[in-house]
Amino acid sequence: MLKVENLQSGYGPMQVLWGPDIQVKPGTVTSLLGPNGAGKSTLLWTILGAVRPWEGKIFFEGEDVTFEPTHKKADRGLVMVPEGKHLFKEMTVYENLLMGAYRKGAQEEREANLELVYSLFPILSERRTQRAGFLSGGQQQMVTIGRALMARPRLLMMDEPSQGLAPKIVMEIFETVEKLKEEIGLTILLVEQNASASLEAADYVYVMHEGVIMAEGTPEEIEASHEIKEAYLGI
Amino acid sequence: MRGSGKYLPIVPVLAAYALLLLYGLAAPGKWQLVAQLAFYCALGQAFNLFMGMTGYVDFGYVAFLGVGTYGMAVTISSLSDGGLGLGIILIGFLAAAVFSTILAMAVGAVALRLRGAYFAIATIGVNEGFRYLIEGARIWNGADGIIFSRHLKTALGRKMAMTVSTFWADIFVFGVAVLAAVLTLYYLRNKVGYALLALREDEDAAKVMGIDVTRYKIIAFITSAALAGLLGASGWALKLTYVYPPDVFEIHYTVEAIIIVLLGGAGTLMGPIAGGLIYGVSKYFLAITLPGFQLLIFAPIIIAIIVIFPEGLVGILKGKVHGTSLEKFVI
Repeated sequence: MLKVENLQSGYGPMQVLWGPDIQVKPGTVTSLLGPNGAGKSTLLWTILGAVRPWEGKIFFEGEDVTFEPTHKKADRGLVMVPEGKHLFKEMTVYENLLMGAYRKGAQEEREANLELVYSLFPILSERRTQRAGFLSGGQQQMVTIGRALMARPRLLMMDEPSQGLAPKIVMEIFETVEKLKEEIGLTILLVEQNASASLEAADYVYVMHEGVIMAEGTPEEIEASHEIKEAYLGI
Repeated sequence: MRGSGKYLPIVPVLAAYALLLLYGLAAPGKWQLVAQLAFYCALGQAFNLFMGMTGYVDFGYVAFLGVGTYGMAVTISSLSDGGLGLGIILIGFLAAAVFSTILAMAVGAVALRLRGAYFAIATIGVNEGFRYLIEGARIWNGADGIIFSRHLKTALGRKMAMTVSTFWADIFVFGVAVLAAVLTLYYLRNKVGYALLALREDEDAAKVMGIDVTRYKIIAFITSAALAGLLGASGWALKLTYVYPPDVFEIHYTVEAIIIVLLGGAGTLMGPIAGGLIYGVSKYFLAITLPGFQLLIFAPIIIAIIVIFPEGLVGILKGKVHGTSLEKFVI
């Protein structure tokens, strides 16, 4: 579904991505692991086009989308849940969700998607008129995920969805990830620092370090390799 | 917000401008004050359309008023023999809007790629730069400016020219204010407004949602600039019938616009009216009661208001009417 080849990008003169190759197969959860500063978020932002690629290619469903603007990619169903609860804090929960269905294609399926989000996160339905900025951390994360679902994603890229949340909520978020895969058949590219939980949720794993892919394999293969676990994952 | 009543908030806006206008017509000797207040409201309303809705502060804003003023001045001084009658004013407004739109596209193409403080810094020199360009390159008569009172009389006749600069110019200012308010409300209630609101709150999140943020920033920027051009053409060009570069590229007016918007409530519809009236009235009375000291007193008052009411007056009001029947009139 998504194929990234030799992607290079960075900020100003500083190169962050040194040509990682990854592939995401439809209907799977692919996990991207690695320490701070490995370039995981930059990889997502570059795939999305908010950081401009310097070199390399990005294919989405067989089409070359390397230099397509971000809003066009959103139309294709390439949607991201950004790191650190990027909410519209002054808007209500409901308005935040509606913003997710901003693009025309998503608008047509707005009601159905809204129902889906409320069934996944019933608490959001209760809190729909509250301002998003006043919700707890876990609920804010649910809003960002819900808002991304409103955009009618085909590939959902989640950037550290468990960051800064209580252990119990972290489990809930991972359960949601599983549900999205099992029940809606969504394809997910998951960036996480929480290595053990993310190994459990993933079908395939890439380990990233200093802008390149150091290792890849099924979660079992990664689990089996002591070197990888000690060198890059700290578990 | 959908369905009936989504444009209701225009009612209090029109009422406010109508009352101000009636007061000016009825109260003897107050027309100049009223005209000044209308100018401040219009300035705030036009500035708010970009700054209030996007959160980007354009320190070069006055340049748009400046080129708008030139648009009118150049039109009248060069077409006065054409026998166009009052049509010349219409062409003048058109030229003003076109000039400011062109400048906005040029400035926007560069500056709108920058965010937050970097945008503000990039725009800070625009007005000075443009002023020196006009003076240095002797564009539009350079530093000598354009004095076109004679041309206005040729085009319209002595009596009509007088009425235009002493009365109609101010009415046009009211018109610009209302136009800016209508456009603001239209944006607020449509896709553009939601896009702008989203990008003001979190530009990255807005991008991720598939909002073409650059496009909407440019739309708001150009609309706001074109309104500034019309304001310059009416409130300055037609009223004064001359234009000098140092007068119309004075950063002071940008600062006033920022104060008005912050006082009233950035991104609200009513805010610029509240801000414009309070700013204008207090400036007027402080200048009468404490001439020479007004700025010394005014500055701390403004700082205090902005610290205590960061959402501005209409921001507070919105909180107060939340859940009441008045809610649908206030945004």
